[in-house]
Formats: sequence, structure tokens, C-alpha cells
Amino acid sequence: MYKMNLLSSRRVYVTSALAALLLANAPVNGAMASGGVTGIQQTSSVKGVVVDQTGEAIIGATIKVRGSQKGVVSDFEGNFAIDAQRGEELEVSYIGYKTQVIKVTGTTVKVTLLEDAKALQEVVVVGFGTQKKVNLTGAVSVVDGDELAQRPVANAAQALQGVVPGLQIASTSGSLDASPSINVRGTATIGEGSSGSPLILIDGMEGDLNTINPQDIQSISVLKDAAASSIYGSRAPFGVILITTKNGGKESKVKVNYNNSFRFSNLIRGKHMMNSVDYASWLNDAKTNQGQSVFFDAERMAAIKEYHDATPVGPGTRRTADGKLVYAIGSQNGVTWDDGYGYGVDDIDWYDVVYKKSAFSQEHNASVNGGSDKLSFYASIGYLDQGGFMNMGSDGFKRYNGTAKMNVELAQWIRMNYNMRFARTNYHRPAALTSSLYNDMARQGWPMLPLYDRNGYLYSSPSPALALATGGSDRKERDVLNHQLGFVIEPIKSWITHIDFNYKIDNAIRHWDSQRTYNHNVAGEAIIYNQGSNVHEDEAKDNYLNFQAYTEYTWSMAEKHNFHVMGGFQTEQLKRTVFGLQRNGILDPSKPEVNLTNGLSYSGEAIVPDVNGSRDQWQTAGFFGRVNYNFDEKYLFEANLRYDGTSRFRSDKMWKLFPSVSLGWNIAREKFWENLASTVNTLKLRASYGSLGNQNINNWYQTYQTIAYNSVAGSWLQNGAKPNTTSAPGLVSALLTWEKVESYDLGLDFGAFNNRLTGTFDYYIRNTKDMVGNAPELPAILGTSVPVTNNTDLRTAGWELQISWRDVLKNGLSYGVTFNISDARTKITRYPNNPTGSINNYIEGRYMNEIWGFETIGIAKSDEEMNAHLAKADQSSLGSNWAAGDIMYRDLNGDGKISRGAQTLADHGDLKVIGNSTPRYLVGLNLNAAWKGFDVSAFFQGVMKRDWWIGGSWGGGLEYLFGTTNSWEWWSVGITDVQDYYRDANTWSVQNGYQEANQDAWLPRVQFSDKNEQAQTRYLMNGAYVRLKNLQLGYTLPRQLTQPWGISNLRVFVSAENLFTITKMPHQFDPELMSNSVDQNNGYPLQKTFAFGLNVSF
Amino acid sequence: MKLYKFSFITLALAASVTACTDYLEQEPPSSLTPENFYTSEDQVQAVANRFYQDIMPGHGGWDYGTYTTDNNTDVQASRTPSAKFSANLWHTSQTEGDWAWGNIRNVNYQLAQLKAKLAANAISGNETNIHQYIGEVYFFRAYAYFDMLKKYGDLPILTEALPDDESVLVAASHRQPCNEVARFIVNNLDTAITYMKEDFEKRHTRISADAAKLFKSRVALYMGSWLTNFAGTPFVPNGEGWPGAAKNPNYTFPTGSLENEAKFFFETAAAAAEQVADKYKNSLTVNNGVVPQAEGQSNPYLELWGTTNCAGKSEILLWREYSKSLGIQNDVEVAVEKGNIGTGVTRSLVERYVMADGKPIYASAYTYDDSEIAKVVENRDPRLQVMLKVPGQVNCFKNVTDNAGTHWTETEPTPNITNANAEDGYITGYAIRKGMTFDRALTANGGSYNACVIFRATEALLNYIEAEYMLTKNIQSGKILEYWKKVREAAGFTGAAVDPQVTIAATDMQKETLDWGAYTAGKVLTDATLYNIRRERSCEFLAEGLRDMDLKRWRSYEQLITKPVYAEGIHLWNTPMEKWYNDLVADGSSSSNVSQKSISEYHCPHVVNMTNNSYANGLTWRMAYYLQPLPLRQFLLTAADHASIEQSPMYQNPYWPTETDAAALQ
Repeated sequence: MYKMNLLSSRRVYVTSALAALLLANAPVNGAMASGGVTGIQQTSSVKGVVVDQTGEAIIGATIKVRGSQKGVVSDFEGNFAIDAQRGEELEVSYIGYKTQVIKVTGTTVKVTLLEDAKALQEVVVVGFGTQKKVNLTGAVSVVDGDELAQRPVANAAQALQGVVPGLQIASTSGSLDASPSINVRGTATIGEGSSGSPLILIDGMEGDLNTINPQDIQSISVLKDAAASSIYGSRAPFGVILITTKNGGKESKVKVNYNNSFRFSNLIRGKHMMNSVDYASWLNDAKTNQGQSVFFDAERMAAIKEYHDATPVGPGTRRTADGKLVYAIGSQNGVTWDDGYGYGVDDIDWYDVVYKKSAFSQEHNASVNGGSDKLSFYASIGYLDQGGFMNMGSDGFKRYNGTAKMNVELAQWIRMNYNMRFARTNYHRPAALTSSLYNDMARQGWPMLPLYDRNGYLYSSPSPALALATGGSDRKERDVLNHQLGFVIEPIKSWITHIDFNYKIDNAIRHWDSQRTYNHNVAGEAIIYNQGSNVHEDEAKDNYLNFQAYTEYTWSMAEKHNFHVMGGFQTEQLKRTVFGLQRNGILDPSKPEVNLTNGLSYSGEAIVPDVNGSRDQWQTAGFFGRVNYNFDEKYLFEANLRYDGTSRFRSDKMWKLFPSVSLGWNIAREKFWENLASTVNTLKLRASYGSLGNQNINNWYQTYQTIAYNSVAGSWLQNGAKPNTTSAPGLVSALLTWEKVESYDLGLDFGAFNNRLTGTFDYYIRNTKDMVGNAPELPAILGTSVPVTNNTDLRTAGWELQISWRDVLKNGLSYGVTFNISDARTKITRYPNNPTGSINNYIEGRYMNEIWGFETIGIAKSDEEMNAHLAKADQSSLGSNWAAGDIMYRDLNGDGKISRGAQTLADHGDLKVIGNSTPRYLVGLNLNAAWKGFDVSAFFQGVMKRDWWIGGSWGGGLEYLFGTTNSWEWWSVGITDVQDYYRDANTWSVQNGYQEANQDAWLPRVQFSDKNEQAQTRYLMNGAYVRLKNLQLGYTLPRQLTQPWGISNLRVFVSAENLFTITKMPHQFDPELMSNSVDQNNGYPLQKTFAFGLNVSF
Repeated sequence: MKLYKFSFITLALAASVTACTDYLEQEPPSSLTPENFYTSEDQVQAVANRFYQDIMPGHGGWDYGTYTTDNNTDVQASRTPSAKFSANLWHTSQTEGDWAWGNIRNVNYQLAQLKAKLAANAISGNETNIHQYIGEVYFFRAYAYFDMLKKYGDLPILTEALPDDESVLVAASHRQPCNEVARFIVNNLDTAITYMKEDFEKRHTRISADAAKLFKSRVALYMGSWLTNFAGTPFVPNGEGWPGAAKNPNYTFPTGSLENEAKFFFETAAAAAEQVADKYKNSLTVNNGVVPQAEGQSNPYLELWGTTNCAGKSEILLWREYSKSLGIQNDVEVAVEKGNIGTGVTRSLVERYVMADGKPIYASAYTYDDSEIAKVVENRDPRLQVMLKVPGQVNCFKNVTDNAGTHWTETEPTPNITNANAEDGYITGYAIRKGMTFDRALTANGGSYNACVIFRATEALLNYIEAEYMLTKNIQSGKILEYWKKVREAAGFTGAAVDPQVTIAATDMQKETLDWGAYTAGKVLTDATLYNIRRERSCEFLAEGLRDMDLKRWRSYEQLITKPVYAEGIHLWNTPMEKWYNDLVADGSSSSNVSQKSISEYHCPHVVNMTNNSYANGLTWRMAYYLQPLPLRQFLLTAADHASIEQSPMYQNPYWPTETDAAALQ
């Protein structure tokens, strides 16, 4: 593992100047090029030149005087000059070459650096072992942990986004407890009853990217093809992410590292409500365009306008220009305030009320490591405190990490590893911040609802603030404790046996208290508003056991035939216990504990407490084996076999055999390549095939028909109480079995110009066969959902390219560029479940995620224009009352009317495929440079091609695009982004002088109808984007300054996350959050973060 | 040696795999499986309990609850008319959600389980109770089927939970004539009645044999009238152009003819209704004419609905309970104290109520004056007198200090017809009091817990009257007059007005044309007795959700095809009520807040804004609308080639096309 440390450090340098700076301080710092070098040229007594074996000058080699702080870099001709005394030793180093130490004997010196074979022996972590990178035959990408460190993000997954080609990481929300979705190589399954997430292993056992401290990560291997991942069998059909954590060193020197960052965030692409006058105009326009009367009558409109124009002087009170006091809310009965919807005239932007402008976060990490051959250790602690944006009530996230690792030589032939990792995450939020809040804020956040009554109390009409501020809080605490005990036995050389006991306790407890809330009356007395109060406690505990034992043997014959065989057994078991309870009637709102509840409602009736509890479990078992052979590291062969069983299926479907094979050819090692070898140092072709099984059926017991029994839960009361109820079970298929995943991969690795240019290209095809597909569509007379079964195939084909360039200029400026791009498309190759060829379903032979819609001609600017259009294209099948401001759709099939036909492939009327929502051409670009202790890096991430049609009303968020839909006024969204709607002289708000006409509007006239909101080209969103994910500037203080303090390295940095985004998406949507879930595409926004901090090593 | 080693390893592997298989075997530890369920009385009850909430109606969350069910008929108007009142806005679709068989499948599944376990003597517990619950499940199948029958007419009859096998499902999709479906429902109810124990449960929150009998009379009356009024049309089996003809070749009625079939249903209705009517005719709650205005005043008739607890009100055969503490709530009290959120009763309804002397408004000794709401209720049918809210009356006098009640309206204001806000506006200007408890404790927004009445014995009397009259066309036959008088006495009529013949004699059919029930097949009835039977139902069942069913079975919508009408509210123009409002805009523009005087002196809520208004010319109708169109995708799914609609065993309802998003043909 010591080797690992060194070698991955080199990678760091390749791709990240930042990392290079860090590692300059490692015990192996001699290898580093520039990081720790002061670069100060002094009057020199020694001149020299650095060349390679062929006599070619080496530019940018580091020359240091051993035992001093002096150091220089060779120039364009390989020359250098350094102030050194006779007898002192010069240390000359350069990436990819062996470091040389030369005693100064004169005033000139010539240094010939030899290529470092070790660099070519870079080792990569693969399943159940490590492998020299040069011998790798599967598709594996490696990321160094330090590339992820010091990004001001909440978890490792966020930092991984865009770094690895083919590893697709997508944000799901800006909420503090959100975890990004992770996917390797595109669509894995169609997601009906099975999932296709990659397996994430931390030091060989399943873990969570969101709870691990990014600072503890040594390296990450992403196993992308079946050949690489098949050794993990049924748990790894869609890739594996192997995380290796940091270890203690072998040198006795103890090293201490501390780093921190302080972060200030604000929301990006946040929404705002229209002001009260605009909102009222808009809603009245919608009502009147629909043939109805206005919502806000003339009197109320005038009051709204008057209040809007007046100056705030107190809660719910403003003063007009002529000195009159006007009020946000009145009281008709003189006792209670009026209903806000019916009478309020306030002017509130509820988004500003709910969200703060900025939030503060901080992170601190410390680690210590050291040791010897006999015993080494690594220990670290980490603390992350993320502030939230909740303005009413509060939300926050904290993570505490602790790691202790040790490696002990028990005897010559046996070593013991013990690894303990602990992570605690605490998340809290207002109890009212549920996923429905985001919608309620949009649909109930009418600006005219008073936020405060005249006495300064929060007032709910209902509206979002009161419950957020006083409705109680919701807290989650999750502890993940991993114990890993392993033995490595090597009784005779090269026969190594590993026995690992891994145990994980994942324990999450949640507490919420839902408090009574109070409005206040005119006299300022509290009036109960929400009568319910309860305390909820629940616990979910997972006990996960992973035992594995495997043995391997390596030998060579005739020095050229290299063999490696490995075989073993693995079993996993997960036992889950959940229970919870909830009791009503909080006695003391400041002490919301179950013991302090009386079980009574507000009016004193006893309420049966809610209780629940259950246990569930699954287990797998697998036998595996691997054979590696290579001839002189030129011709490479690997084969894997795994025989897996799972509890998810019945015994006759339980077991499955998964083979894989891969080949490699190191062309650059061939004789005929010798002439080219100095230019193209590395060239390797890889090919692989593998078959894997997916047992990740969402329901652990899907082959069993189960009865849903709900105790004390019926909503039709009997004798004043909720009765027990039970409903008929759904249909299940007992024939459910493995999904088969076959993957083919063709890869090319290359390196040129002394490996300054490196790259990898992969093309792959992955067939998912016998997938748990959508159940066949059957006549509705069945009366229940059709059970899913293994009946669908799909094929994902894609490619990945990563290219890096890194170099050091003679002035000492080192720089690097890494670019990666990947693409994957998925075609349904077998789908018997759509007998009618419905275009709203998957169709065999077509690409996934097609968007069907109409072609838009435009918005009619006059009734005449619309009538002329209707004469050619009858739009009555979509709606009625077509007029100026409505959409004109194109009659594509020329039948004189606009229709959707039967919405089948054979008969789809005027619908056509207008786009595809698959994200295409995912790119990541890292630019970095370092010079004289300064380092700068920029990381861009993006999706180059993607279309998006926002889904239906309140299923997908159509309201957020159009404002109003056929869900009418109580389900409309009056955000500023929907204000650009068609208005002309006939529009109510124009007639009444509240708005200007807007005939060149982007949106059609506002109506409570979906006739203008059909999927169509005009409002198809372009979801492509490029985001500057991270920009970082650091400075490492010269060592001369820090050394006297015992500090070997001190770096300060400033960093910015999500600095800007280039996209054509409408402002209210974030291209990273596109989803059909309203919670996601309109939930908690993502954040822009500015951070600063330091990193210090002793 | 090598072979030996190899065999050994193979053997060891095989052994461990077998061991592993046992280790991997995993039944769900925390879920019940059907094999060992349905074995005790409480489990059978849990099965029945679930269907109450899945199948039976109840108050919704944010409006006037079930009292809005009569919207989109002649008696009640919603703010925007339904598409069924337009010539071309109701379209066919691929995926219409009402063609849903989930409830029926679930009933069938559970019944099969229960019957099997019962036959095997595998259910422990009190046999009477077990039988009662099984009877309830039969009732639910009947209720769910009747919902479908009203929407679609001819239907597949399913008696078991079908497997997910396309050929079985296609075969089962065959639609049976509507009278066969009605017979199936009646049979289910008969079975339910035999399973259930008379007076099993006193609070009447469970289905009873009496409720099943009442419902049976409703279903039979429905089918009897349907067959009679649609005779000869495509809406009845073997009628001219019946779309089911080809798929039900040579269909013959079990009774030989359509007339006999109708007679069978009327007889069934009368017999079932009579059983219930005789049991309850002397315990109907009597309207004492009082509108309580302060503590100490009460009217038991109003309290049938205006209560949180209907237990002990013998006339109520089934009701649904709500609870504040359990969070099972509605918004009825909020709505009833305001302008009946979501609905408004119409002039048509208000004018059909007779005067206190039992004579129609145009024929009475009393003068009918609708220039003010207070005058509308003067000397009227006592039911209207207590149900129609009059400005100035007290709506809320109980628990007036309960701060939890935020949406109370202490005194009825003048109706805010200019406000289009659903919660604060009055749609027609007329608002009713049904369900009002006068209790502020129930007025938290969405926090009411008024009871919901589902079945009332009074319906049995009226069902009997109509069925018996349809059989004999003689008001003297059977118990028609006896029951009718009972109804009128309970309604609060006194003296001669109790006798319906007084009303019949004074009825001039040509003056009853505001009442759609006065029509059948586009023509005004000539039989004043029949009309008055219909009138009595309408007046008694105010806002009880039966109106659309009645109008459809009477075939009372199609006069709108040739003569669209406006839904009308209060007599706004040229009355003192005009002065209630100081900001009226009535020019038909988008700024209008009431309808134009030129359209009607009565406020017409649907034509306030004449621009962009699909109903500017009034409410109209298409023949097809008596039944819903079937979702077209179902034809494709049941067709052999999944593409040709004609291959399906199903057929479209009369006058509905088989094209997507298309309007009715006539």
C-alpha cells in the first residue's frame, strides 16, 4: 500500500496541480517536480544539464540540494544553475523517471535520468486485489482521492461529478440531505421494479458515498465493464465504485495533517413570486380568458395597487404618498383577521420569506499516520457543518467522521488489518419542510396573503411561513459504524489467502415534533390554527455482514509466462429492523418528547398512538474464481467466473453462473514499435466480454403475494374510531428471476511524449436481457396492476474518451488539461408489453426517452390570424375558444385537423418525435496550473445535448412553465418567470390599465386549460448546459517560512463552486435537476458556494 | 489422484451450494400471506371495513361535501358548467379513468377467499358476525357495479378476480346488456340480505339488510325507468341501433320483452321499497318548521344532516362519521355557513317547491314573491322554508367563543354573487342550510366533522310510489297515497297540503318547464301525477346526490338540445336585491361581475363574462351524453391485432365515435 500511495501521488500531479502541492510534503517528496520548490534562482556555483537516456533534454526537472531549501527547475534546454557547495548532494527528479542523487564534485554536472519502470508499474485497485495498470484488461477508471479533496461540497459523490467519463452523477436537489444519483454507463434498466445503481464498496464492503469523509479517500476505481466487475457477481451488474481509504505509512515518521474550509453559499436559479399587482392581474386575466369573472374585483385591485405603491411603516401596514395608512389585512367581524385569499392586499415574495439569502458552512479535518513494517496506523477525524437556507425555522446538516486503521504483522506469514470507520450525520429541518412545501409555497404563496398581521404576528391563510417557523422540527441522526477485520496469510511465497470479516451497523433515528400553531386575532390573542400536535420517533437499523475468503497464487514460468489464479467465497446478509411510534398531545411545546405527550387531541379525545415495526432480510452467497495470464506483459488474458445465489428469488430460480473474459495487447512493447516508442510510450488495446446478473429487485420478497393489513387506519370510522382494514393483495409473478446483463467493451489506452499526453477510449455495448420490464398492458378489466416479470431487453451503446495533457514549462509553470466526454444511448430491443404500440410507452426498436409532441407554428396575434389558421387546421380536439394569444399547431399529416390520433406508432395524428430527454455527450474539463507556489484550477462539467418536456400538471410541473393549467387557480404558480404571457387590448389587465399589452410574449395567453400546453416544439426545453463546477486558487507558502514552525507544508486557498452556468433552460429550472418529480425540479435550489481555508501538514 | 481431488472439490462445492440454498431461502418475515389469512372474525371484518372507504361516498375536503353531488343538473350549479352541457367539448379519449375495475376485482378476490375459508369452516368467531361482514362485501359489489352501470350501461359481469392472462381478459370484456347487469346487482343484494342479520348494528354506520333493500329498490327503479323511457333507442338492448346487437346476437330478455323486463324491475323495486317503507314509515323525522336561531331552539329534521352523530336517528339507514380528533374531517360546516362552497341552488329548484297550501307557486292562494330571498321562503313548502338561507339569519350560535373555528359566518350576509372566489362567492345567490350544525367548533378551515348521510328510509317511500305508479299508472293503487302523505307530513305540511292530489290538481304542466324532470324524451310530460312524483323526489332529496341519476333514467336532458337554458339564480334585476350591490358591472365584458339584464332578470352565473365563454348560449346536450364514452385504448387492448377496434368484444356507447379526442356524433 505504500507503493500505492506514491504511485497515485504521481497521478495527482498529472491531473491536478493542487494535489502535487499537497504531496510535495509527503515523505516521498523527492519525486516531486515543482510543488515544494521555491523556484528562487540564486547566484549559483553549480551549472548543469538534465537529459534522458537518448540525450534529449528534460525540461522542468526538479533539482534540489539535499538537506536545504534550495531548489530549481531545468529550463527549455535542460539547463539549470544552483547554488550548492562541493560535497553537497543534488537530488534530480522528474515525472516518469527515477530520481537521481549526485554529489557535487565540480561546477558543472550532467545528469542522465533513467526511465522509472515503477511508473509503469502503477497499480490499480480492482475487485479482490490490485493489478498493474499496464496489465489491466477491463475498463477501469481511477481517480485519486486528492482530486476530490478541498472541493467545498457536502459529499464525495458531488465531487466525483464529471470527473470520470461514463460515471454519471446527477444532483437530485439542493436540500442538505439530498444525495445525488449515481449511474455507470447510462440506462441500466427501465426502472420498473428493479434498479441499476452501481455497487459502491469502501475498502471492500458496501458503503455510502454520502457518508464517507472525502478527505479519507486514497483512491477510487470505477469498474465499468462486466469483465472488471463480474467478480462481484449479482451485486455489480451496473458497475462498481471501489473506494480505498488512506493508510498509515511504513516510515516511522509520524505525519499530521489539518485542513479546513469556510463556505458562504447562495441559491442559484431561485424563483420569486410576482408582485401583488402583477399577480392579481395575471390571475384575473386567466379567469376572464376562461370566460369567468375576475377573482380580484375592482375594489380589491385598487386596494392591492394602493398597498403595493405605499411605503412600509410596520407589520402589515404601509403609508401611501398622501399619508394615508393602508393595511395588508382587515377584519370584517372586528375580532379575527380576514381570510388572506379573500381579502388580503399584501405584497409578499414568499420565496424571499422562506429562503435566506446566504448560508454559512465549515469543514475541519485532521489526520495522523505513521508506522513501520511491523505496524502502521492511520487515524482521522472530520467535521462538516452545513448551514441551510430556511429563513423560517432552520435546517442544517452536520457530519462527523472518525477513522482508525491499523496493519499489524502478527508473524512473518500473517498480517492483520483492522479498520474502523464511523460516520454520524445529523440533519434537521422544520417539520413543515416536507416535499409538498415546495408546491405549497408556489401555489399558496399568493403575494397578497399577509405575512404578518398588524400586531406583528405571523399569519397563515394558509400560507407557508407559520408552520415553518413554529410547527416543530424534524431531526434525523444516522450512525454508520464499520468494522473490518482481515487476515492476510502468506505461508509460502506468492500464495496469499485473505479472510475478511466485515460488519456494518447503519442506524438511523428520526424524531419529529409537529407543534400546534397559532394565528392571532385583532386583539393580539392567540387563536389555535393547527390543532394537531404529536411527537414521532422512529428507528431503522441495518445489520450488514459481509464475509469473504479468497486465496491467490502468482507464479511465472520462463520469466515471460506470468500466471495468477484466485478463488474464493463471499456471502452477504442484511437484516433490517424498523419501528416507530407517534403519539399526540404535546404537554410542553418546549419539551417535545413522547413521555411528555398525553395521547389526547386538542379537544381532549383519546387518540390511539401510531405504532409500526417490522424486520426484513436478504442474503446472497457466491463462489468466484479468476485466472490471469500474460506473456511478457505484452499479451494479456483474464477470465472470471462467479456462481451466485440470492434470497430474492425462489429456490429454483436462485442460482446463476456469470462468466467473463478479457484480453489485452500492449502494442508499445512490441519490437516493431521500438522506433515509435519514444513518441508513443504506451499503446494498449483491450477487449472484454462478460455476463452478469441483477438481483436488485426493489421488493425483497416480490415473488410472494402479501396482504396489506392496516391496524387502526380506516378512514370510514366505526364507533368513533378508525377500524382495522385490509385490502386484496396485488398479483405477483413467482417466476421472477435474474436480469442478465451482457457487456462488451473495446478499449484503447495510449500515452505519448513521455506520457505528457495520455488518453483512454472505450466503446461498449451493454445488453440487459430478461429485464423486469413494465408489465404487459392488459385490458383494464383486470382491475389491478399487472405483475412485472422478466420480459424486456434493452441495449445501451456508448463510448468514453479521456485525454490529458500535462507539462512543465522551463519557467517552472506546470499546467495540465484533462478532458473527458462520454455518450450512451439506449434502445429497447424487446418489449412485448405494449401491444398497441402506444407512444406513451416503450416501443421495441426505438430509443428510450423520446418526446412526442406537436410542432408549433406560433402564437396567433389576432383572432383573424387564429381563425385563418383554424380554417386550415381544426384544433377542436385539443380545446375550444381558440383566439388571439393561443397556440397554432401545425397540421403535419395534412388532414385539416390537429389530432393525437390513437397515440400509437401506427396512428399518432400530428404528433411527432420532437426531442429526446436522454442526456448526451457528458463532459468534464479540468484546467490547472501551478507556478511558484501558486496553483489554480478550474473544473467544468456539462451535458451537451438534452431535450426536456416538463411533464403534466402537478405530476411534472407544467405550472412552473406556464403558470396556469387546467388545475385552476388554487393550483397555479405565479412566479416571475411566467409573466411573459400574451396580452392584447382585449385582455382584462390591459383594459383596466394594470399591464401593458405584450403581443410578442413567449407564453400564450393565460388560461385554465391545457390546450396551449400540449407537448410541442416551442416549449421544448434545451437541457444542455456547461457549469463551472469549481474554480480554485491556492498558494503554498515557501517552505523556508514554514519550516521553522515545524510545518512542512502550508497552503491557503479560495474556492468557488457552481460559479456560473451556460444554458438555454428557462430561468426557473436548473438543468442539473431536470426530472419528472416536482419536488426535484422545483424543490430546494442548488447553491453557489465561495470558500476559503487552509491545509497544513506537520 | 488428481481426479480424486477434483471429485472431492466438486462434491464439496455441490454440498455447500445446497447448504447455501437453504440459507438463502427467505420468506417475508413481516408480511401476511393469503394462505394463512382470512381465518378469524376480525380479519373478515377488516376486509369489509376497507370497502367502506374505497367504495362508499363521503364528504370531500374543501367544499360542501356530498351536497355538491347534484351540481350540473337543473337543481344546482357549479361555477363552471360541466362539458356535458356543451355541444362539443366532451371528447372521447384513449384513457378515461372511470373505466376502472379495481374495486370490483378486489371485492371478487376477497369474496372468493372468504367463501372458500367459510366453506372449509376455517374462520373462527361468531358466525352471525362473519355472515354479516360477508353480506356487506356482497353489498359492496352491488354498489360498485351500480356506479359503473350508471356511467356505461352495458357491462362485463365479473364474479371472480381474473388472472393476468390476456385471452381470459379479452373473453371477459364482453359487455352484457344493461338489464342483465342490473339483475346481477339485484341478485348480489339479495345474497347480501340473506347473509346479513336484521338490525345487526344500532348506530347504522355499517351496511344493514334494510340499507341493502333500499339500495335494491333504487337499482331496480333505475333500470325499470331506463328501459321504459329509452325503449326503442340504442340505449336499450334490442333497441333500434343498439351498438351491442352484433356482439350479443339474438339477445332475448329473460322476461320475453322489454316491457316485461321493465315491469320486472318496477315490481322488484316496489317490493323491496315496501319492506323498508313499512318498517320506517312511522318513524320519519318531522320538520317542525323551526330554523334555530339561538340555544334552545331546534328542528329534528334539520338535525338529520346538521349533526356530527346520526346514531339514533332511525330514518337514517347508513351514515359516515367524521372526527376532529382522528383528523378525519371535511369542510361542510365552513361551506354551509358561507355560500355553499362549490355549488349554488337554482331558481328552477326554488320555484318547483309548492306553497304551504300544497299548490304550485302559480296556482296558490299565497303569492309567490322572489324579489327578496326572505320573501321566497314565505308560505312555502316547509322543507324549503327551513333549508334556504335568508340574509340576516343566524348561522352560528353554538360554541361561539371557540377560537378553533376560524371560518364561521355568524350571520347570513346578502349573497356575494359578484365575488368569483370559490370560497367566498355565492354562485347563484341562493344558498342552503343542509348539514348546518350552527356550531363554531366545526368551522376551522378543512376542519369540519359534520356527519354524512348516505341512505335515508324516506327514499324507500318515494321509490315505492314511483315504481308502483309506473306499474299501474294509478295513484290509488297500493300504498302510494299512504306513503306520499307520510312523506309530506314529515316534510312539515299540514292540512289539505298533505294530500298530493291537491298539488296534482293544481299543476299546469306548461308552467313547470323550468324543471327538467317535467320532460321525458324532449317532451313535457302530460301526466301531472307522474310529474308530481318526480317533483316530490326533487324537493325531498335536496342536495342528496340523486338528481343526475333521476334525470338520466327519466331521459330528461335532451330537451336542452333544441332549447338550451341558462342556469339561473336569484331575481337580481328589477328587484330590491339590485340595490344590495353598489358595484355591479353587467356588460358581458371580462370585467363584468353579474350577468346582463338582457339575458335574464335572474342572475345567470355562467354568462357573466361573455367573452371566451363556451356556455354563452346556455346549457345544451347531446344524446350520447346519457352514457360515457368507453376509453378507446381498451378496444385496442382487447382486439386480436391490438389495432382494429372492431375486433374487440367491446363496443362503443351510442353516438360516441371511436376516434380519439372527438366530440359526440349526436
